[in-house]
Amino acid sequence: MAAPSTPTPVEVFESGDAALRVVASSPDREANWTTVHTLAAWLEDAGADGVHGAVPTYDSLLVEFDPGVTSARQVRAFVLLGLRQLDFIGAPSRAPREFDVPVVYGGEYGPDLERVADHEQLSVEEIIGLHTAKAYVIRCLGAPAGSPMMDGPDFPLPVPRLKDPRLSVPAGAVAVAGRQAVIAPATAPGGWCVIGQTPLAVLDVTSEPLVPYVPGDLLRFRQIQPNEFADYAGRKLEAAR
Amino acid sequence: MSGSLIIQQPGHCVVTDLGRFRGPRFGLPVNGALDQFSARAANILTANEDTDPLLEITALDFRMRATTDLLIAVTGAPLRLTVGGRECPQWEPVSVRAGETVALRQITGGLRAYLAVHGSVEAPVLLGSCAPDTVIGFGLRLTEGTELRTSRSVPPIRQPYFDLPLFRLGLTRPEFSSQAVVEVTDGPDVDEFGDTAELLFTTEYTVSARSNHIGLRLGGALPERQTTAEVLSRGVPVGAIEVPSREELLVLHRGRGVTAGYPVLAVVTTRSLDVLAQARPGHTVTFRKTTVPDATAKHRAALRELENLRSTVSIVFALLGIGSQSGRVQLAPASGG
Repeated sequence: MAAPSTPTPVEVFESGDAALRVVASSPDREANWTTVHTLAAWLEDAGADGVHGAVPTYDSLLVEFDPGVTSARQVRAFVLLGLRQLDFIGAPSRAPREFDVPVVYGGEYGPDLERVADHEQLSVEEIIGLHTAKAYVIRCLGAPAGSPMMDGPDFPLPVPRLKDPRLSVPAGAVAVAGRQAVIAPATAPGGWCVIGQTPLAVLDVTSEPLVPYVPGDLLRFRQIQPNEFADYAGRKLEAAR
Repeated sequence: MSGSLIIQQPGHCVVTDLGRFRGPRFGLPVNGALDQFSARAANILTANEDTDPLLEITALDFRMRATTDLLIAVTGAPLRLTVGGRECPQWEPVSVRAGETVALRQITGGLRAYLAVHGSVEAPVLLGSCAPDTVIGFGLRLTEGTELRTSRSVPPIRQPYFDLPLFRLGLTRPEFSSQAVVEVTDGPDVDEFGDTAELLFTTEYTVSARSNHIGLRLGGALPERQTTAEVLSRGVPVGAIEVPSREELLVLHRGRGVTAGYPVLAVVTTRSLDVLAQARPGHTVTFRKTTVPDATAKHRAALRELENLRSTVSIVFALLGIGSQSGRVQLAPASGG
C-alpha cells in the first residue's frame, strides 16, 4: 500500500453516539482505498483513549469508540488530525503475498452461477473465465468472520444481491455482488450470489490472526472439478508466495 | 480457594463479557453482553472488574450448584432467584453456600439476566474476550454437567436481622416494559429514504421471533429507500437500523457482521441498545429521535450511577473483608465521573 502524496479529501458522518463513518470522496478509487487504510493504521498506532478501533473497507472507515471515555466530537477532531499527519508518516510498506484458491463452480457448489450468467448475458464458461482471469486485491476484511473483500471480476454489469438472502451460506462459498467478490470463511446468512465453493479452510479460530491474509494481499481463483473437491479436505488457505 | 459451578440446567446461557473490542478490525463482531448496564452492574455488585467474564442467561430457566461458598449477584430482566430454595433479591450481592443450588426462573418482562460471581469464572479468550461468536463457532458451550471454575470463595455473610435486606446499595434499577421506547440518532444515509424516513417515528413496531443477538427484526410500516444505486460494503455500527427486505426493519445488535451494503437509516443510542436487549418477541418498540450529544450525556449519567454503586460496594465489602486480597477494592471512592 503506497501512501498517496496527499490523502484524498474525506467527509465525516455521525453514525450514532459510538461511531463515525469517514468517507474518502475523491474520484480516484485507488487513492480513496489507500487513504482509509492508511488512516486506519494511523488510528491503531495512535491508540487514543476510548477509541476501540477502525474498520476500513473500500472508500470508507468506521471508527468505533467508547462514548463514556471520549465523544464523537473529539474523535472527529482526532481523525482530521490523523489525516493531516498522513502527509508526513507515509504508509507501512509491505510486499503483498499471493493466495491461490481452487474453486468448484456451479451446481450445488455455486447455486447462483446460471442466474449470474443470465443476468450478464454471458455463458457459464465466460463467467468462470472472467472470474479466474485476474488477480484480486484484497481490499478489506469484512463480515462474516474476516471475509476477504475484493473488487469484483470484470463482468459487464453489476450483480444484484439476492432478493431473499439465504439463511445459511456454507464456509468456502465464493460469491459476487455489485462490483465486489468474496469468499465466506464461515457458514453464515448471506445475500450475495454464490457461484462456487473452495474446499480450503479460510478461517482458523485456533490461531491469531484468524485468517491468513491482510488488506493489500493478492488472491487468484482457479477452477477445479467436483471430483477434486475432496482431495483438498482439511487443507488451509496459505500464501503461495 | 478455587471451586466450581456445576451447570444443572443450562437453558440458554453463555459465559460472556463486555465484548471483543479488537474484533471489528479483523472482521469479527464485538459481541458480548447485550444489556451492558446490567452486565456491568452484576460485576460491580460482586467487586469484579467490569470486563470480567459472567453468565448471560436468555429467556429460559437456569440452575447451577456451587462447590464452594460464593458471592454472586443477578441483574437484568426480572425473574425469580432462589438460592438453596430461599428467595433472594436481584441487583444485590447474594451469598451462596457450598452445595447449594442457584436457580433463575420465570424470566419475565425482559429477556436477559446476568449472573456474576465474585472472582469471576474461567473461560477461553479470543482477541482479548471470552464473548461467544456464533458465526465462527467460538465460545464456551454450557450443557448439563459443565463445570465452570471459580477462583475465589467468600464465606457466607450473616444477616443478623431477619427479613431485612442485606444490602441497600441505592442503584436505580432500569425499567423493563413490554412497550420499549428506543432513542436513535439520524443515520449517515437517512437522506436516501426521503420523506419515508419519518415513518420510523410514527410507527409502533413489533419484535419478531426471528430476533437474536445479531439483530432484532421489527414488523411495522417500513421506510423505503428512494435510490437503487449499489452500495459498496462498509463498516456498520452496532445499533444501525437498516431496511434490507420489504418485510421487516433490521436493528443490528452486538453480534452484527461488521460490514454491510445497506444504507443506515438511523442508529440506536448506546443506552437504548440495553433496552432493546431486553425486548421479547411480541413486545412493541417505538423510536424517538435524539442527538449525539444528548445520547452521550445519558450514557455517561448511567455510567456515573454505576460508579456510585462501585464506591458503595467497595466500602461495604471492605468493612466485611470481602475482596481484600484482590487488591481491587479500595476504600477511597472510585471516580465519580
